[in-house]
Amino acid sequence: MQVEKFYYDNKIVRNFAYATVIWGAVGMLVGLWVALQLVFPTILNITQYFSFGRLRPLHTNAVIFAFVGNGLFMGVYYSLQRLCKARMFSDKLSYIHFWGWQLIIVAAAITLPLGLSQGAEYAELIWPIDLAITVIWVIFGWNMFGTIIKRREKHLYVAIWFYIATFVTVAVLHLVRSGELPYTWLKSYSFYSGVQDALVQWWYGHNAVAFFLTTPYLGLMYYFMPKAANRPVYSYRLSIIHFWALIFLYIWAGPHHLLYTALPNWAQSLGVVFSFMLIFPSWGGMINGLLTLRGAWDRVRDDVILKFMVVAVTCYGMATFEGPMLSLKSVSAISHYTDWIIAHVHIGALGWNGMLTFGVLYWLVPRIYKTSLHSKKMANNHFWLGTLGIIFYAIPMYWAGFQQSSMWKQFTEAGQLKYTFLETVTYMRPFYAMRSLGGTLYLIGVIFMIVNLYKTVKAGKLVANEEAEAAPLQKEYVKHTGEHWHRWIERRPVQFMILSLVVILIGGLIELVPTFLIKSNVPTIASVKPYTPLELEGRDIYVREGCYVCHSQMIRPFRSETERYGEYSKAGEFVYDHPFQWGSKRTGPDLAREGTGNLKKTDGWHFRHFREPSSMSLGSVMPAYPFLLENDLDLSNTEAKINAMRTLGVPYEKGYEKNAVADLVAQSKLISANLVNDSIRISPKKEVIALIAYVQRLGVDISKNKTATSNK
Amino acid sequence: MYKFIKQYADTMTSANIYPMISLFIFLVFFIVLLVLVKKMRKERVTELSNIPFEKDELTNSTL
Repeated sequence: MQVEKFYYDNKIVRNFAYATVIWGAVGMLVGLWVALQLVFPTILNITQYFSFGRLRPLHTNAVIFAFVGNGLFMGVYYSLQRLCKARMFSDKLSYIHFWGWQLIIVAAAITLPLGLSQGAEYAELIWPIDLAITVIWVIFGWNMFGTIIKRREKHLYVAIWFYIATFVTVAVLHLVRSGELPYTWLKSYSFYSGVQDALVQWWYGHNAVAFFLTTPYLGLMYYFMPKAANRPVYSYRLSIIHFWALIFLYIWAGPHHLLYTALPNWAQSLGVVFSFMLIFPSWGGMINGLLTLRGAWDRVRDDVILKFMVVAVTCYGMATFEGPMLSLKSVSAISHYTDWIIAHVHIGALGWNGMLTFGVLYWLVPRIYKTSLHSKKMANNHFWLGTLGIIFYAIPMYWAGFQQSSMWKQFTEAGQLKYTFLETVTYMRPFYAMRSLGGTLYLIGVIFMIVNLYKTVKAGKLVANEEAEAAPLQKEYVKHTGEHWHRWIERRPVQFMILSLVVILIGGLIELVPTFLIKSNVPTIASVKPYTPLELEGRDIYVREGCYVCHSQMIRPFRSETERYGEYSKAGEFVYDHPFQWGSKRTGPDLAREGTGNLKKTDGWHFRHFREPSSMSLGSVMPAYPFLLENDLDLSNTEAKINAMRTLGVPYEKGYEKNAVADLVAQSKLISANLVNDSIRISPKKEVIALIAYVQRLGVDISKNKTATSNK
Repeated sequence: MYKFIKQYADTMTSANIYPMISLFIFLVFFIVLLVLVKKMRKERVTELSNIPFEKDELTNSTL
């Protein structure tokens, strides 16, 4: 048959490669900055725009969506064209995809420091950006499927299955997580509240890890590792099992982020069982990757690209062994809320995503520039700096995590908690300093890579359109007798996508639907009432400042927690919380009962604490919030907020929005007057008043319930 | 339809059955997958795993 000549688009690959390098460096630099903020809190929290609570989401979003996002697009655009033996479907779509994604990243980098956030981890971006992500994601999918459909290779190689599953699942996750009701052109409230919001969040959050950080990178592993090793994947059969088992199981695992919380027990058990089972497909994939090097292990000593890939796949194995272990309830009881989790995610991010991206960059950039790598020695130095950086990052954080947990849980012989929370915070600072050293090493390695790639690019010339040839597909496919089912589906991308969708929806639906529909999952508590307008405004400031990145609002039913914070949290307490603010980390203490019981403090204490935390808690690493004392509370949206909340099911009386501002003013005057007793004179119009009102409300309702019951 | 499901779900007393149903669905799925994969022919497997390579590209391969 006559072969056809065509050209691979390398320009789009180059663009995404540049983007992943640049955003990677930025994301890591912000990471290093926030790490140092915990070591030098007073020096480095210089303005409200760069306070820890606003920058930490910028770091996570930059690393996930900018560094890994661009990295996966780079790998997909390179490998998909070659695996399909076709140029990308449309250069225009590639162009829109690239620039659209970069604009989204720039929008995120502007809005997050401005405090425009939805307050859900890894889903902080505001609703207009959510919409833009949807559009650009569809364009990516359109371009990908267009290419697959016009391919010259009949069968879809395993890497493409992972790309398809990534596309379809991220689309579903993003749509469900972005369920929100806008009340201004920048701000919105989550459709879901409390327990349901928590379940949606961690179903999304965990699967963002699964389908944004893992499945596309597994696709890259299945393409680039055989290419770099110059031998086919170890077992194609194993890759089929790896793929289907992984996407089936992953989608169920989210609730392991919510063990011992107010989430219904059955959902927790579901999360534990499926998270544990995930170890099998994950390790199957890791073994498949590593054994691809069978007979080529001697080359790993000399080939820096293989070194990067081996460390990447090993880190994948470590993280996917640790993940199921962390999902066991008894382990979660120790690890949750601690820096152990920070260590765990960085094994994944720095090790798996980072090292694989670097390996692919070193392999791919010289190829599309028709030259050889500028300096192998420099790449080797990068490899060692990166590897040591991961070790220096992870070990202090593991240590810190164990230490934190054990300090939180220790009692004296007299039966009292041995350590105050603040003691556990100050104990962590040397570990935070050591972790920063690890991060610095890793970043220096990246700078080595930037220089090395820059010189490589300078020495070569981009082959923007790489010539290739292949025979076109026969119109009528002659089916082999006794053909295997998977070969059938490998020829049909649309059916493949639908089957992937069905597989992931089974898990998603069984998990989410009952929690939304079954009333017994969220027992109501009569004394839990909606927030007052001032508290609601204060809560929005709490979300804006990203307080949830360091403070939880979820007390687990352990003696060590109920002694420290008060009664454990109940599902019914959060029914009006759009969005939920349970948090996932306790760099600072839990705040679920901050306004009641032993934790209750005066308004004056909170005022002084917000102004300068270390003046009230010596050694605190919390940023100061002096601007809350200066900024006037914006009341222009109060009415719209009440209306939006009512639409979402919060029982504000009809017409209450008209009285909301008057009520708000009255309550703020009360707090302001209260502060006078504490020798503090401040206008009731300031933002800090609203935040004090919110913090003082936390946990109050359920204590009223107790009083009412005992009176009966 | 939605009303019907909601009414049914509202009156359901326990959702403990869900993890069991899920586990069962997965086991069936996994066993079927294993059997089907096992039945694949070796030549086909080799052919498919060579897709990333051009015809003359594999020099040191065991194949």
